[in-house]
Amino acid sequence: MIEAVKSRSRKRLITLTVNGEEHEIAIRPNAMLVDVVRDQIGLTGTKSGCSSGSCGACTLLIDGRPMLACSTLAVECDGKAIRTVEDLADGERLSPIQEAFLDQGAVQCGFCTPGMLMSVTALIASNPKPSHQEIKKALEGNLCRCTGYNAIFNAVLQATGQDGIKPIMF
Amino acid sequence: MSNLSFVGKSRKRKDGPDKVTGKAVYSQDVKLPGTLTGRILRSPHAHARILRIDTSRAKALPGVKCVITVDDTKGIKHGFVETPRYPPDQEVFARDKVVHIGQEIAAVAAINDMVAAEAVGLIEVEYEILPALFRPLASMKPGAVEIQPTHPKVDEPYTNIAGKTETEWGDVEQGFAEAHLVRTDRFESHLRTHGYLEPHVTLAHWENDKLNVWTSSMGTFVKRSKLAKVLDLPFSSVRIHKTYTGGTFGGKIDLYTHEYAASRLSMLTNRPVRIVASREEIFSAYRHGQPLTVELKTGVDRNGVLVAQQIKIINNAGAHRGSGVVVIFLCWGFTMAPYRIPNFKYEGYSVYTNYTTRAPQRGHGCPQVRFAIESQMDMIAEELGIDPVTIRMNNARDPEEDLPNSDNVHQAGLKDCLRLAAEKTDFLRNYGQTRKAADLAGSKRRGWGIGLSSYFTGSLIYPNGSGVMVKMNDDGSAVVLTGALDVGQGAETVISQIVAEELSLEMEDIKLVTSDTDTTPQDIGAWISGMTYVTGNASREAAGNAREKLLEVAAEQMNTPKSDLRLQDKMVISISNPDNRLSYRQVIAASVATHRGDTIIGEGFWRTMRDEPMHPSLATTKGRWSENYAFSVQVAEVEVDIETGEARLIKALTVHDCGFPVNPGLVKGQVDGQVSMALGHAFMEEVVTRNGSTLNTNWLDYRMPTIHNMAISEDADVITEQYKVGQPYRTKEVGEGLVSAILAAMANAVYDATGVRLHSTPFTPAKILSGLQKLEQKKAG
Repeated sequence: MIEAVKSRSRKRLITLTVNGEEHEIAIRPNAMLVDVVRDQIGLTGTKSGCSSGSCGACTLLIDGRPMLACSTLAVECDGKAIRTVEDLADGERLSPIQEAFLDQGAVQCGFCTPGMLMSVTALIASNPKPSHQEIKKALEGNLCRCTGYNAIFNAVLQATGQDGIKPIMF
Repeated sequence: MSNLSFVGKSRKRKDGPDKVTGKAVYSQDVKLPGTLTGRILRSPHAHARILRIDTSRAKALPGVKCVITVDDTKGIKHGFVETPRYPPDQEVFARDKVVHIGQEIAAVAAINDMVAAEAVGLIEVEYEILPALFRPLASMKPGAVEIQPTHPKVDEPYTNIAGKTETEWGDVEQGFAEAHLVRTDRFESHLRTHGYLEPHVTLAHWENDKLNVWTSSMGTFVKRSKLAKVLDLPFSSVRIHKTYTGGTFGGKIDLYTHEYAASRLSMLTNRPVRIVASREEIFSAYRHGQPLTVELKTGVDRNGVLVAQQIKIINNAGAHRGSGVVVIFLCWGFTMAPYRIPNFKYEGYSVYTNYTTRAPQRGHGCPQVRFAIESQMDMIAEELGIDPVTIRMNNARDPEEDLPNSDNVHQAGLKDCLRLAAEKTDFLRNYGQTRKAADLAGSKRRGWGIGLSSYFTGSLIYPNGSGVMVKMNDDGSAVVLTGALDVGQGAETVISQIVAEELSLEMEDIKLVTSDTDTTPQDIGAWISGMTYVTGNASREAAGNAREKLLEVAAEQMNTPKSDLRLQDKMVISISNPDNRLSYRQVIAASVATHRGDTIIGEGFWRTMRDEPMHPSLATTKGRWSENYAFSVQVAEVEVDIETGEARLIKALTVHDCGFPVNPGLVKGQVDGQVSMALGHAFMEEVVTRNGSTLNTNWLDYRMPTIHNMAISEDADVITEQYKVGQPYRTKEVGEGLVSAILAAMANAVYDATGVRLHSTPFTPAKILSGLQKLEQKKAG
C-alpha cells in the first residue's frame, strides 16, 4: 500500500493565503494542512495534539470558519485564506480575546490555547454576544485538560462584555 | 503581609503573552534541518518469549538510515525508583521476552515517516506466546506464571510481587476488640490516564560529542540523569533544552524509550532524529495511572472517633516496577496524615501484571485511597447516627500535631477547612434531604457529599534540591536563571513574583532563563509537589543574596548603615534622609568600580528537610516524608438521573490550606483543573482493555470532560502561613492533592441523592442503576 501511495504522491503546487501573505508551495497530495502550516509555512503556533480530529488543538480558520487542520487535506485549501493564532495580535497589541484569556487565567500549559482562541475568534466574528449555550457549542470540540474550562468560559464572557465579568489576574 | 506588592497577588502569567500568540516553543515546534523520522516497533503480545529478531529487510530498505534493538544498547537498566532495595529493573528495549503489549522491540530512523513506517513493518520477530495475567490476585497466586521475579525481601509465598510496604503502630487487634463499631469494606479503582494534550515528542541531535535534546517532560534534570545513564554518557555531554510542556499530570516523568531511541539513533547517524508518539500509541503502549484495591477495616468508638484501622492495598502495577512501589508507600501517607489513628496496621503490595508499566498520575494513589476512607467514614457516620461533618471533626488533626513518622503538621488548617466548607455549602441543611423527601417529581435527584484529604509538599528524590541565580544587569533589571520548568502550573510567574518582591523590581524588569540543563542551576522539577516551596525559597534566597550585595555597596557609597536603607522602584533610599538615594544602576556601577569588578549576582539554594539524609523508606515508611502538609475539604453537589443512571457534578466547593497562596489566581486555576479531572475520572473516563490491549485509543472513545461537562467550581483559601521579605516561608501543595477528596465527595453525593453506595470507580450509569434496582428489591422484599 505504501508503494502505491508513493507512486501517487507526486507533489502539487498550491496557493495558500496565510495570515494575509500568499504562499505558493509544493505539497504531497496526502499532506495535512496542520503539517503544511507548521512545517512548510513555519507557523508552529497551531498545535498538533491527536492527528485524529478529536482534540481541537489544531483549530485554525479557513475562509473565516474554524476547521481542524489535522483532518483537512492541504490540497483542498488551494486558493483559500488561512488564519492562525499568529495573526490575532496587532503587533505587540493583543486582541481583546487574547487579553481576556490572560485576565481570566484561561491559559495554563497553553497547548489548547491557540485552537481555543481560533474557535472563539470565529464565534465572536459571527455572533458578538453569544449565549452561554452558544459559547459551549462553539468550544465543544476543543479539549482542555488544565483549566476545567471555567476560566476559558469566563474569558469569552469578558471578551464579549457579558455578565459583568471582570479580570481576576492583574 | 499587607505591604507585599507582588507575592500574594494574582499576577498575570509571565509566559502568557507567548502562549496566546503562538510564540511559546514546545518540543514539537523545534525543527532542525536534515532531521530523520524515528519510529518504534512494539510488541503485539502481552507476554511472550522473543525467539528471533531479524532487522535485515528493514535495514535494506532505501531511505532507512539505522535500525536498533536491545543488542545495540549497553544493557543499562533504569527505573522510576533507583535505590538499593529497588534497583533499576527495566531495559530500553525488550530482551528475550516481552511483558506487555506495546513494549519496545526495535527503533528505526528513516528519511521520512512513510519509509520509517514501512521499515518497522519489515522487522521480523518470532514469538513464543506465554500465558498473560491481568488481575493482581491471579498474578500473586503461588505458582502463577512469573512475569518478573518476586522481590527477594518479600518472604511470603506469592509470585509477581514488585514490592511491599508495611508498617504498624499501637495494637490493632486490641483496638478492634475495644471498638464500639467495626466495619470492613473493599473498594476498587479503575484504569485512567493523564490526557495531556501534547503528545510525547523528542528531538535529539548528536553533534560535536554533545547530545542536544528537546523533549516533552516534567523536569529536565531528571531526564538528563536517566538519559545520560542509559546512554553511558557523562552528564556534561547531555543537554536538555528548555521547551514548554503541553500538559503532563504525571505522565512525562519517567525515562521513555522514545527518548533513548531518538538519542541513540542520532548518535549512530550523526543526524537529528525526531520521534513523536501517536495518540494511539500513547493510549495503548504508554504509562497510565494505577488501579488499586483497598481493603479497609475500621473500628470507632460511639462518637465515631477512630480506635483502630487496618488497610491492605493491592496495586495492579503493570509489567515493571515503575512507580508502583511508590504508590503503595504514598497510600500509607495519605491515610495517616489527616486523621488520628491510635492503632494502625498497613500493608501495600505492588503486583506485576501484563499491563503497560505504570506512571505517577496526579494524586499518585491519593484519590483512590481517600475514596475508600471517606466513603467508609460516611457509612460509619450513618450507622452511628452522626453527621458527616461532625465525625470528620472528631478525627481531624489539630495544628502542631506530630505524625507517626515524626513529621509535624505545623499550622494545619484542616478543621478550619471543614468548618468553612460546611458553612459555605449549608451542608448539614442540604445533606440527607433528597433521601428523606417522599414522592419527588421527575427523575433528577440532587445529593451532597463531603470528603477531606491531605497531601505532602515536596519530598526527597533526585535531584533533591533547587538552585537559583539572580543576575543584576547594569541598568538594574534582572535575569533569573532557574531550572524550574513551567508545565502550566505557573512556575515562571511565581518565581518572578518572589524575585520582584525581594528586590523591589517590576515583573517586567525580570527575564527568565529556565530549565536548560547546561545554563541553569539544578532544579527538583515539576513533579514532586514542591516547586513553589523548594524552588520558590531558592529564588527568595537568590534575590535576597543580590539584595544584600546591593545594600552593602549602597551603604558604603551613601555613608549610612545598611539598617538605614530601604529599596523602592530600583532605588536604594536612606530612611533617615530620603534625599540620600542611589539608583540600582549607580549602585551596580559602584560595585563594579570598587569591588574588583564584581557585578551583582545572587545565588540561592533550597532543600526540603535539610537534616534528613535521604527520602523515607518505601518499604517500612521510616524516615521523614515532608516538611509541609496541605489539607483540603471538598463538597460535591451531584445530580443523578434515576431513570438513566447518569450522574454529573453540578457544583464543587474546594476549601484548602495551601499555606500561603503566592498567586491566588494560579491556585484557583489548579483547583478548577483538578475538579474537572476528578469529575472525568468519576463519571466519564476509563481506559478499557481486553487481554492487555487498549480498546479505546483516542479521545472520541476515551471521553474526557468537554466544556459541556464543566462544573461550577468555587474555592476558599484557609491561609495558615505568611510571607515576609527576607524570611523563609512555608507553602503547601495545591497542584495534585485536590483530585482526591472531591472524588470521595462525589461518591458520597451519589449516595446522598439515591441511597446507592458505590464501592468502585468510575460511577457509571450501569452501577448506579443496578444499585437502584437492588434498593427497590430490598424495599419490595
